[in-house]
Amino acid sequence: MELLAQAKKYGARSLLLQGLTFISVLTSAFMIWKGLSLFTNSESPVVVVLSGSMEPAYHRGDILFLHNGYSPIEVGEVVVYKLDDKPIPIVHRVMKVHTESATGKQFLLTKGDNNNADDRGLYNPGQLWIQREEIIGRVKGFVPYAGMGTIWMNDYPQLKMGLLGALCVMSLFSND
Amino acid sequence: MYNLLQRLSGVMSFAVSVLMALMVLIAVTTPLIPSSPTHSVALHSVKTTAGRQMDPFDRTSRAAEHARLTFDVDADLSSMFNWNTKMLFAYIAAEYSAPGFETNKVVVWDRIIRNRRQAKLRLRRHHNKYALRNFALTFEGVEAANLTLYINPVPYLGLMYDRPMYSIPLTLPRAPAGAAKAAS
Repeated sequence: MELLAQAKKYGARSLLLQGLTFISVLTSAFMIWKGLSLFTNSESPVVVVLSGSMEPAYHRGDILFLHNGYSPIEVGEVVVYKLDDKPIPIVHRVMKVHTESATGKQFLLTKGDNNNADDRGLYNPGQLWIQREEIIGRVKGFVPYAGMGTIWMNDYPQLKMGLLGALCVMSLFSND
Repeated sequence: MYNLLQRLSGVMSFAVSVLMALMVLIAVTTPLIPSSPTHSVALHSVKTTAGRQMDPFDRTSRAAEHARLTFDVDADLSSMFNWNTKMLFAYIAAEYSAPGFETNKVVVWDRIIRNRRQAKLRLRRHHNKYALRNFALTFEGVEAANLTLYINPVPYLGLMYDRPMYSIPLTLPRAPAGAAKAAS
C-alpha cells in the first residue's frame, strides 16, 4: 500500500526513468565485460583463483587478469585452461611445449607449482596433452585476495541471498 | 544536509579510488626497479636410457628414450628481490627442434625461491627433476638443442612482466641411437 502511494507520488515518468538508469548500468557493465573479452581474446579475462595448487605464487581468492592473444604459448607461462568435460578452469604453469611444424598445433603439458606431479591426472582419461584452444588466457597481472568476496559468496549461499535482499530493500526505500 | 550513510559512501568511494591509483602506480613502476643477478649453468653429462616406465599415464613412456642430465648451477639472484617480489620461479628448459616439430621446450628443473637467502643457488651435479624425452619416441634428428635458465619474478601485486631471460645456451648432445634400441 505504502509502495503504491509512493509510486503515485513520483509518477510513472520518474519510475520509468529509474528503470532506464538501472538497465543502462547493467548493459554498460555487460558491454565492458564483453569488450574486454574481445580485446583479450579470452572468454573470461578476469578470474578468481579457487585452489592452492599454485602456492606460493597465487593463493585462494587472488584475482588474475588474463590476456590470451593469438601467439603460441611459451614454456614457463602461467595459463588458465578449461577442459571440455570439466566446468572449472584451472590455473597452472606450462612445463612442456611441442609445436608441430606443419599445422602449428601445440601440445602442452601443465603443472601446478605446489603439486608434485604434472596435470595428466587432471586431464580427461587418456588425454596426455592440452591444446591451444583449451587455453582461456595467460596470467598477465594479479591483485591478491581481492576476490575473496566471490569465494565467500560461493561457499555460503546465504550470504549471497542476504546481500541481494539487502540491496533490494535499500533500493526500494531510498529516496533519490 | 548529508546523512551518515552518504558520508560513509563518500569516504569509501574515495578510499577505493586512491587504492586503485596506488595499485596502478605500483604495477607500472615495479618492472623498472633495476637488478643485477649473476648466473651460470654448466653441463657435465647427458645419458640416454630407454625401456623404463617413467610416466604412469603415458603408455609410450616405456619405449621412449629419456635423457638424464647432470649439471651445475651458480646464481646469485638476491638482487632481484625488491619490496614487491613475492617469489622467483627459476627454471631450466631444454629447447630443440625435431623432425616435424620445429620448436620443443621442456622444463627439466625448477625451483621456487622465496627470499634472499634462498636466492644464492649453488647446485653441484644436479639431475633433471622432470623427464626429458622427445614427443616422438627417440631423439633421432634432434637439432639445435640448448639449455636455458629462466627467471620468472612473481610480485605481491601487479604485472607478470616479461621474465628477464638470462640465457646460457648450451649444446645438448644427441642421444646414442643404437643404445636405445638395444635397451628396449
